[in-house]
Order: sequence, then C-alpha cells, then structure tokens
Amino acid sequence: MPVWLHSVLPPPPRYPVGGYPGAPGAGPLIETNNTLTHPTGPEHQLVVGEGTYVLRDDLHLATPPPHPSEAPVHNPNPLATTISPPTAGTKLSLILLAPRRQSSSRLYRFETATSTRSQVPPSIQESPHEANSDAGSHSVNGTAFPPYESSIAPAFGASNPHLAVINGKDAKDPLKRRKPKSNIVKSNSSFVSRVIPHEALSKRLQEHNPNGVYAFANVNRALQWLDLNSPIKEEHMTKILFTKAHALCHDINPITKGPNHLDMIMGFSTGDIIWYEPMSQKYARINKNGAINNAVASAVTDIRWIPNSENLFLAAHMDGSLIVYDKEKEDAPFVPEEQAPAGESAKGKEAMRSSLIIKKSVNSVNQKTNPVAYWQTSNSKINAFAFSPDNRHIAVVSEDGSLRIIDFLKEQLLHIFTSYYGGLLSVCWSPDGRYIVTGGQDDLLSIWSMEESQLVARCQGHNSWVTAVAFDPWRCDERNYRIGSVGEDCRLLLWDFSVGMLHRPRAASVRQRGSIASTTLKMQRSRTDGSTTRFRSNSNLTSATTVENDEDEQVIHAVEPRARTAMLPPVMAKKVDEHPLCWLGFEEDCIMTSCNNGHIRTWDRPKEGAGGEANGINNSSSNGIGGTALASTVSMGGTGSLPPGSSGGQQEKLRQIRSAGDVLN
Amino acid sequence: MTSFFGRFKGNAGPASPASSAPPVKKDPNAPQPTPLEKLLTDAGPLRADGSDKFFGYENFGSTCYCNSIVQCLYYSVPFREQVINFPSRSPPEALERPANAPLPRLDTDIAPATNGQNSALSPKGRNSMSAPSAPAGRKPSLTPVNPMGGPPPTKPEDNKDSPEYKKKAAMAAGPILDMNYENSSAYGMPESLFTSLKDIFEAVIAHRSRIGVVSPNKFLEILRRDNEMFRTPMHQDAHEFLNLLLNEVVDNVEKFSKAEQSRITEVDGTEANGTTVTNGVTHPDKTSAGALSNIGWVHDLFEGTLTSETRCLTCEKTSQRDEVFLDLSVDLDQHSSVTSCLRKFSEEEMLCERNKFHCDNCGGLQEAEKRMKIKRLPRILALHLKRFKYTEDLQRLQKLFHRVVYPYYLRLFNTTDDAEDPDRLYELYAVVVHIGGGPYHGHYVSIIKTQDRGWLLFDDEMVEPVDKAYVRNFFGGENVLACAYVLFYQETTFEAMQKEQEAENLAAAKQATEAEQEAVPVAAPKANGTANGHPLQHATTPTPEVDEQLPKLNHAATAPPLPTTPHYPLESVPTSIPQLNNRKSAAAMKKEKAKEEKERKAAEKELEKQQKLKRKELETQRRENYKRQEDELKQALAASKSTAKADEEKRRREGGSDEGDKEDKEALKEKENGSFGKTSLSRFRHSSMSIRHKPKFWSGNHKHEDSEHETPSTPGTDVDEKPEKSKNRFSIGRKKSTFHL
Repeated sequence: MPVWLHSVLPPPPRYPVGGYPGAPGAGPLIETNNTLTHPTGPEHQLVVGEGTYVLRDDLHLATPPPHPSEAPVHNPNPLATTISPPTAGTKLSLILLAPRRQSSSRLYRFETATSTRSQVPPSIQESPHEANSDAGSHSVNGTAFPPYESSIAPAFGASNPHLAVINGKDAKDPLKRRKPKSNIVKSNSSFVSRVIPHEALSKRLQEHNPNGVYAFANVNRALQWLDLNSPIKEEHMTKILFTKAHALCHDINPITKGPNHLDMIMGFSTGDIIWYEPMSQKYARINKNGAINNAVASAVTDIRWIPNSENLFLAAHMDGSLIVYDKEKEDAPFVPEEQAPAGESAKGKEAMRSSLIIKKSVNSVNQKTNPVAYWQTSNSKINAFAFSPDNRHIAVVSEDGSLRIIDFLKEQLLHIFTSYYGGLLSVCWSPDGRYIVTGGQDDLLSIWSMEESQLVARCQGHNSWVTAVAFDPWRCDERNYRIGSVGEDCRLLLWDFSVGMLHRPRAASVRQRGSIASTTLKMQRSRTDGSTTRFRSNSNLTSATTVENDEDEQVIHAVEPRARTAMLPPVMAKKVDEHPLCWLGFEEDCIMTSCNNGHIRTWDRPKEGAGGEANGINNSSSNGIGGTALASTVSMGGTGSLPPGSSGGQQEKLRQIRSAGDVLN
Repeated sequence: MTSFFGRFKGNAGPASPASSAPPVKKDPNAPQPTPLEKLLTDAGPLRADGSDKFFGYENFGSTCYCNSIVQCLYYSVPFREQVINFPSRSPPEALERPANAPLPRLDTDIAPATNGQNSALSPKGRNSMSAPSAPAGRKPSLTPVNPMGGPPPTKPEDNKDSPEYKKKAAMAAGPILDMNYENSSAYGMPESLFTSLKDIFEAVIAHRSRIGVVSPNKFLEILRRDNEMFRTPMHQDAHEFLNLLLNEVVDNVEKFSKAEQSRITEVDGTEANGTTVTNGVTHPDKTSAGALSNIGWVHDLFEGTLTSETRCLTCEKTSQRDEVFLDLSVDLDQHSSVTSCLRKFSEEEMLCERNKFHCDNCGGLQEAEKRMKIKRLPRILALHLKRFKYTEDLQRLQKLFHRVVYPYYLRLFNTTDDAEDPDRLYELYAVVVHIGGGPYHGHYVSIIKTQDRGWLLFDDEMVEPVDKAYVRNFFGGENVLACAYVLFYQETTFEAMQKEQEAENLAAAKQATEAEQEAVPVAAPKANGTANGHPLQHATTPTPEVDEQLPKLNHAATAPPLPTTPHYPLESVPTSIPQLNNRKSAAAMKKEKAKEEKERKAAEKELEKQQKLKRKELETQRRENYKRQEDELKQALAASKSTAKADEEKRRREGGSDEGDKEDKEALKEKENGSFGKTSLSRFRHSSMSIRHKPKFWSGNHKHEDSEHETPSTPGTDVDEKPEKSKNRFSIGRKKSTFHL
C-alpha cells in the first residue's frame, strides 16, 4: 500500500487559491530569493544501465509576488467561472557562449563499461563542418539548429527578394549585432514592472566562464537570467518582472550569440513578444497587445528562432496560428492576404483540417512590417513545435491531438498524425531527423518515423500526461536512441529505442504483427500501404485520405490501433520532483529538469564513465555545469547518427531522408 | 470593481427601499438576460428530444448529490431517449395536466403584453411560455424560497456573483416544474424511482420553456421511502446514489418487462402492437414488443464486462471469471491521470497471505496472481474516482485532494486481448464535482457537455454556460476544494471527434473575429478562447451589464411579496413543499439519526467482531496450510518464476534485441514496483468494480471472492454491502453532520 495512504492528510484548506490548475499557489507576498539545495540520498539518484545519475543540486526559483496593481483575486467560490490567463511552469533556455570544442564529439562514443551499448562500434566521425559550428543553444524543448545543415537547406525566405533586400540593408556591418532600441531598466512601459540586475552584474559577466552555460528561466511573471557555472548560481544575473504577463516560452538565437550579445525572444500570455538583449539590457516589444495576430491577443505558446536566421523567428499562438516575425520590423495591423503568392491558399472550411492556411506567405511582396509569414494550422491551441535538424520541417503538436509535419520552406503541410487520444503536449526530433517523438495526454510517448511517415512505437510508463520529451544526443547513435521524458506525474523516464527492437512484435499481443519498422524504404512503403488498406475497412478517415494539391499530397494518418503498435517500456522511471514537471534538457554532463513550481534540478551523469565522459564530470563538481564545452544537439543532426567512417554515407543518408521527403511531397 | 457594486448594492438594499424603488419599477420589464438566456437567444423551435432544455434542480437541503447525478443522466442522449421511450413515450395530453398545473396558460398570455422589451431581449423559447411569467413570477416566488431554500439572507447571497444569489434568481425567474405528482400509472408501471425520473424527464421536455427549475419532490420522496440511507438530511455520496439509481432503474425496468411478458403470453393472441392495458389505462400507442425488446437498455449503456484472470501459483492453472459492472471505481494516486488509474486497476496483483485464492484445482487456498481487464467496453463509462478513502489512523474517511488529470478523450488500455473494439474512443461528457474538505459535508455540482450548447455548469437551481477549459479546473490538488468525483465518458468516433473539433475551431475563429470587431478591451480572459462559441458571462468579470442588473437585485431583495400577482399561489406555493421541512426539523431528525446510528454502530461492531473471528479462523487455517505446503509452494513459485523469466527472455530474443538482459531486469524491477502497492479486490458491490488497497476494514468481503456474480439488484438489498455502507455513513454522521446548501 502506498505510503501516502497512511499519512495523515493535512487539514483541508479553507479557501482554494490559485485560479488555474497546476499553477503554483497564491505565492508569496514579498520578493524572495532563489535557494539552492543539495539533497542527497538514494532517492535522489537515477539508476540506469550505464550507471547512476546523481542529483547535483536543486535550484528553486523564487516565485515573485503579484504586482501591486494586480491584487490577488481572492475568490472563495471554487466554482468561479472566471478564466485565468494561461501560465506555464518553469522552462529553460540554455546558451553556451564558447564555440563547441572539437574534443567534445568524442563523447558521442559509448565507452562506458556499463553501457549496454558497448557492442555498438564508435560511429562518429569528425565532420569537417563541425569546426564551423558554434551553435550551443538549447531551446526550451531541447532542440537546436544545426548549422551544418544550413549549407544544404536553403534559408527560409531566401527566394523572396523583398525579404532579402531588407535584410541586406540592415546588415551593413555583419560583425556588429544590432540591438533592440529601448533600455529595459529605464523603461517606463507598463508592460515591464521592474528589472533587478545583480549588484555585481558586470563583474559576474566578466568572470563568466566562456564554456559555462547561461540559462534563462521563467517563473510566474518573472524571467531570470542565471549563470549556471557561477559559484553563486542561485543569484540571478538579472531578473525581469513583468506587470501582468507571464513569459510562457523563450529561445536564444545560437547564431548571433557572442560574449557581448545574445538575442533572446520571449512569448507572453498576452500575445506580446519581447526581443531582449540581456548584455546591454535592451529590448523591443513585438505584436504589442496582439497588434498583429488579433485584436484579442492570443497567448504565445511556443517560440523559436528560425534556424540560421539572424532576424526571423516563429511563434505559435494559442489560436492555432504560426507566425514568422522579424525581430527588427515594426508591427502593423494584419489583414490576411487573399491570394497568397505561393498558391496554396485556403481551400475552404471543409479542408481546413487537412491544409495549412497561408494567410501571408513568406514570399509575399509586403515585407516592410511584421508579420513576415502567417500560417493557420487549425484553431486548436498549439502546444509546442520543433524544427527538424535538417532545417526543412517543423513538427507542430496541438491540443486537438494532432501532430503536423510542415515543410516550412515550401509552406506546405505534409502530414497530420493523431495521438492515441487527447492533446499532444510536447514534441522533439531525433538528432538525425529520422524520428519525431511526441508526448501527450494519453500518457504516452509516440515515436513517429519521418521516413516511413507513420507511427513506429508507443512508449507506456508515465502515470500522467507527458509534458516534455527530448533526445539525449550523447546517448544516441545510428541505431539506438535515448529518449527522456517528464510529465505531470513528477517523474523522469528514460527510454532506449533501437531500430532493431522494433521488429519485435508487440509483447503480449495475440495478433502477430509484421515488422513495424524496417530500415529500407521499400519495406516501409509496402508496410504503410498494407496498413492503409487494412484500416480503410473500419474508418472512413484512413491513412490514405489525401487532399490533392497541385503537386503534392497531404496525408492525414489514421490512429493506429493498439494491437498493431509496438509498446516500449522505459529503462528508468523515477519521481524526481514534488511537483509536476514541465521541462527536460540533456547536457553533456547532466540531465536537467524543471517543474511547475520553479525547481530546477540537475542530475550528474554517471561518474564511472571512462575517458571522454569523465572529462565533463571532473569539472562539474566545481563548476556547476561542466567546464567542458557543451556539444550541441545540433551537430548530432549531421554526425551523430551516421555509420562509421563515411562522410559519403552521411551524405547518402541525408539524401535518403530527403528523397523520402521528396516522395512524400 | 466588485467592491463598488457591493457598496452600491448595500445602499440600495432592503434597508433603503425608497432608493431602490424606482429601478424596480423601471426595470422589471427588462431584466438583464442571464448568461444562459443569452446563450439561448438564437435557439430555434423547441426540440422533441429535450436536448435544448436547461433546467436547474431545486435543492431541498443536501440533495445536490441527486441533482448532479440526475443532470448527468439527462444529458446522456441515449439514456434520456430510453427513459422517455420506455415503455412508451407519454402522449402530450398526459403531460399537459401536470406540466400546466403550476403554470397556467394565463401567465403566458399576460406576459408578452407586459414586457415587450423583454420579448425582444430574452430568448424565444423562453418567451413563448415562461419568460412572460418570469418577471412577474420573480417577486412572489421569492418569498417562499427565501425562508426555506437558501440560508438566512446573509451576505453571500447579496453578492450578485455568488451562486446563492444566482440560485435564488433562478428560482425567482422560474418557471418551476413542481414534480410532486406521479404519472406511473400512465406508463403502466408501479411507482418507482424510474417512473418518477421519467416523469421529470418528460415534464422537462414537454415544457415550453427552455430554462427553469425542477423541484424533484416525488423523486426524492420515493428515493427516501425506499432507501433508508438517503432518508437522512445529511450529505450523501453522489457515486453511491448513481449506483443505486442505475440499479433501481434496471430493476424497475426488468420487473415491468417480466410482468409484461407474462401478461403477453397470457393474452398471446394479441397483435404485436395491440393495446396493452395496465392499471386500467389504455395506451394505444404503446408497443409491448417494442418495450420488451429493449429491456436491457441500461445494461446496453452502462454495463461492461470485466474478466478476472486468476492464475494459481501452485498448479499454474488460470481460471477466468466474467463480471459485469455499471461503473468503475478506481483508486487514486497523487499526480496521476485517469488513464493511469485505470491501468493500475488492471495491474496484476498477488493474492497471498490473508488474501489467498481458493483454487478449485489444487483444492485449497493458494497464492495466485490476479488481474482484471475489461472484456466488454460499456457505451457510457462512469468512472468513480475514489476520493474518499478510509484512513486507518483516523478510523474515518478522508477526502483525497490528489491531482488527477483527465483528458477530454479517452481510450482504455486495460482491455483483454479478445475484447471487441478495444480501441474504442470515449469523450468526456460530464463531470460530477465534489466541493468540500471532507466526505461528510460539501456540495456537488456537475459540468456537462450538452449536445450543441457547449459545456454548462449545473449547480442545483443554477445553470450557467462555461468555457471548455473550465472543465479542467477540477483536477484537484493542494488547496483545491473542488475536485472531480465522477467522470462520465461516452463512446464516440474519431470522425465525430474531428467534426466537433472543427466546429469548435470555427466557433473560436468566429468568436475571435467578432471580438476583433468589438475590440474588447478585456484581452486576457478572451485569450483563452471560448471554444463553445458563446459569449461567456463570467461571474466575476465585471462587465457593463452588471450595472444594469443591479436594479433587478434590488427588486429581488426588497420587493415584498406582491399578493396581487394572480399566479402566485399557483406557481410558487407548490415549490415550497413540505419536503423542505426536512431542514427545519433537522434537530429532531438528528436525534433520531443519532439513535439509529447508535443501533447501527452496535450492529456494525457485532459484524466486525464476527468478521474478525472469521478472519482469525481463516488465518489459523491458512497457517496450517502454509506449513504443509510451504515446500511445495516454494518449488512452484520458483518454477513459475523461472518459466516466466524464460518466457520473457524468449520474447526478447525473438525481438532480436541486443538489450534483452537489461530489459529483462527492468521488467522484473517494474514488476516489483507494480506489486508494491498490493491491491486486493473487494467485490461486495457487484455492479461497481473497485479495487481497494486492502483496507482492513473491508477485508471481510474478500471471502466472497468466489461468489458467483449475482443478477443486478439494488445495493440497498445487498447483504454484503450494507454493513460497510452503513458504517461509512453513520460513523460519519455521528461525528459530524454538516448541512450544506
């Protein structure tokens, strides 16, 4: 019998507090400081095949008191029908200033004695491109953009001269980064309540280890800038308090980062977006009061810099729109452009679900003001999106349970997959771009194959909704993938997913199932077809439902029945926090989690690792996040997954991926 | 802002009738439409199926458990249809009398003339019949309600946003369907809970108003007459009531059908749709055959089948037994989901120690593995979240405030491999919410998705449209008094889901554009989107309308009963029915109850003693058995384990996985974890399957493990159940009997 049953329950609260479920309670009434604790003991260790992850520390971000003008609403009526504005648990954007060190790629090998994958040959070859790659950003979803790919995928909007002109004009001195206009400290905006820089901010900036990690974390109406390698990491570098709006998402541009410059964007519950440069404390406000996307502002649920773009970023709004903004452009009231030059205009309401409504194409000639592009998926709330490592696709998950794969370069919707049931909450790509993992309200992780355009496995193990998923690029190779997930059940789960494993029919299933996923394209195709026909019989919405386009087919994929789907068990499951978790990140030397109440926990990777792995850990004890450069998830896209010794093979694989994409297109 | 209104109200309150008088005279003809009325403005003609009726239910003191459940059942489309069509639908004239009794036509005629403005403002549906009577009826009906219904007129109900105020307003607005008659003879059935439920449903549907308040007098009367445990004015368990009601309905329907059948065989020669004469009433339109063909409609809707597989660890023999359920009771874990609760429900459990399994094969109590899976999925899945947990430390029930999330859509993982349609998609359509700190007091409301009016909050007399996201406010958690207690999921299809989502999307888009045009300054709340496509009138969001509504409040508060209103006695007197005296005579009843409780307690103690004895006997027996079979068992266990391991390994190898070993270990670990929370099944409630975390309290019931599934009968007559129930109930009452509104 679970222990809690016996424990005496606390007396029931007299009044319910906190208007929205899952949110931290009423919160303190005075400003408090962050606290750092170091809980120890076996309950703070994660035992996995490769060794034991040990909790390094627990950084608790102080929840700010409500703004004086926003007096806490004490409504003793638990049935009050007031709608509270959306809020989000603490999420982190991490950035490493230094370019990634060459040596770090050694860490991709799995040499640990205890590693279950020791039989897997070291597969990583140094790529010549890697030297150029200095991306070290991990956005809130743990995805990042591989510059390596940029040489192949055309830049977004590159074909539009109107965009290029403006960009070119602005970039007079490519070395000097443009900063936002207003100073946030001196701002008298009613949007920003208060900015509290650390008393020794400039000193701390100087002392910052270039190999260390900066983190930006939202908690309630505050956003904190933290130096995770500082000995006083619990003390914020800068804390911004907004008056009313909550920052729900944020991202840092990895390609514009520098010792004196960081481009950060935040999306707010009010629909506003702020472009913030922390070093100079400058900011600019975009989509002011929802000026662009709606008179009634629609909260920004996820935000991300467009890979390899210095200026453009993509924001997902609660009303189901995906909007590309330029950080330097002014707002202008937006009127949908009736005839999008791209030709894929709205096809009417009945086709709404199966199409991407382009309210403004990136190829539009009107590029003087924001938005740069405006796409409407459905009107269902978008919970998260992620760019593919090859910089061509976005995976978008929504409250209606759909996973949409969009070719954002061509502004085309390629696939719509649907969760087993309930909304999808989180999404990420495998480092090699071959798989997409989603987590949702069906308590499952679902693994989707890009090549096969279908569901390959479901992962069952969470006891509640899965709020964040991420691949651990340091434990992925061309056949095996390590996936991590956190959920409302306060637990962190780790999953080992291997291509070979998928051939196994579903355990305990009566019905035998053929190979679910094979690596050759041919087999996959036939498999897909097979399932299509089978499914047609019991649902009129089949995986073959296609909407004919001029040149492409868009496919709505039916829900796979349970009996035909591989079920994957976790390799580790552990309660790692007292509160529902909402973010997960893998770093070279650690795993990080954060929860709805502002706890950021860091778990050191196993120490018994040999050579390369120890490298990171040695530094970590003194340094917070390890002194070793963080290899970015990015490079995995190019190198991590490829067979040994063949940059040719690399290209081939990429071609394969692409050709698969082409087939689907 | 709220405080401002408060002040205003205070000034204009009963204390200063003079100041409030002008608005009263000015405004009664133009009462501000309630959110519900607004929602219904564009409603077309009345429908025959009752899907566009939104009636509140009067609370007679702690009868919210009944109101919330009846509402959930009403808005289950198939259930409502069956209720009104079984055994036949009453001809309109049958309803004419009762429906009109409290609301003479007279009112209808007067009204349009007196409030032209109202007719412009208020919904058609309401206008056609009741709205007219509403403004006039408001004044008189308040008086009777005031002393009885609500608490003494204190602050809370003066607050316009308070539910107390809204409930009073709803009662005042009427029309009130006084269900103090019974029509059972018209159905050819003896008076029962079913017939009175049918009476209510039919009256609501037949009524010309879309909104109003039902006074379910007769229904409660029958309930209390037949079921001792509901006779007290205390807080009752909504889930127990649901279970009882469903069983009663099954019972009533079956009894009737059997009687009917025997009668038909007697008559024999009659045509299939020949007239059936019962109790001297002729129903030309009733087809007996039709009635008989769907005897089992309650089963069709709510009943599912559970298969329990028990594998004896000694002889390895697996025995299966099917049992039916009408709802599922699931244990809760902190920070879990309904999905996970259901999976836990079906997790393998070890029957060992005191809980051993009597194996027919080995002949004796053996250790066994047992799991229960769903073999036949119900069309309506009623999920009872066991928030009231017996804590041994305190010797009483405690409310669990665990945060348990529930999705709008659901599929079941815990089905058997041979289940038909194991991937059936369910949609959440109703949530019964318990508000309160403990199991012995509190309040129930329900939040229900209606056919085409989105989600509505039903709080006794009050009905209010809510945002879809509102449904998610009741996951529970620390500091959250209002938590979901019973969830109703109904079967749906993927296509239907998509259609609905598209409709929601369109509505949201429309809303957005409308809002854009209006350029509403209140941006934040709107950001959530009102998926239902109806403008939400938030109770606590001050809007311009609040101002205009003030006079109405004054009117309500200050207006003395206007005896001149002709229909006053007709409409309002019946609402202030004697039933309400319950509250008045509460003290007396309390005494009575106390006595009863004492007796009950004694009986319970006796029972418990017996159970203890029995347990002891079994314990000794078990020990002997154990000694004798220790070696055997060990061997068997080892063997079974090794085979299990071998199986596992085999499976892995088949999978060609290179991580078989590790996974194996993991699997074992998982298993260990799984068996940590050892669960035991108590089957005392045949129709409500639940696993209990082996509370000592109920262990006596485990002995009935082997008892065959009985045909459904009312829980009230269930011998096994009674002690437990009464214990819960009355131990509660002894300690605390809190009335609630």
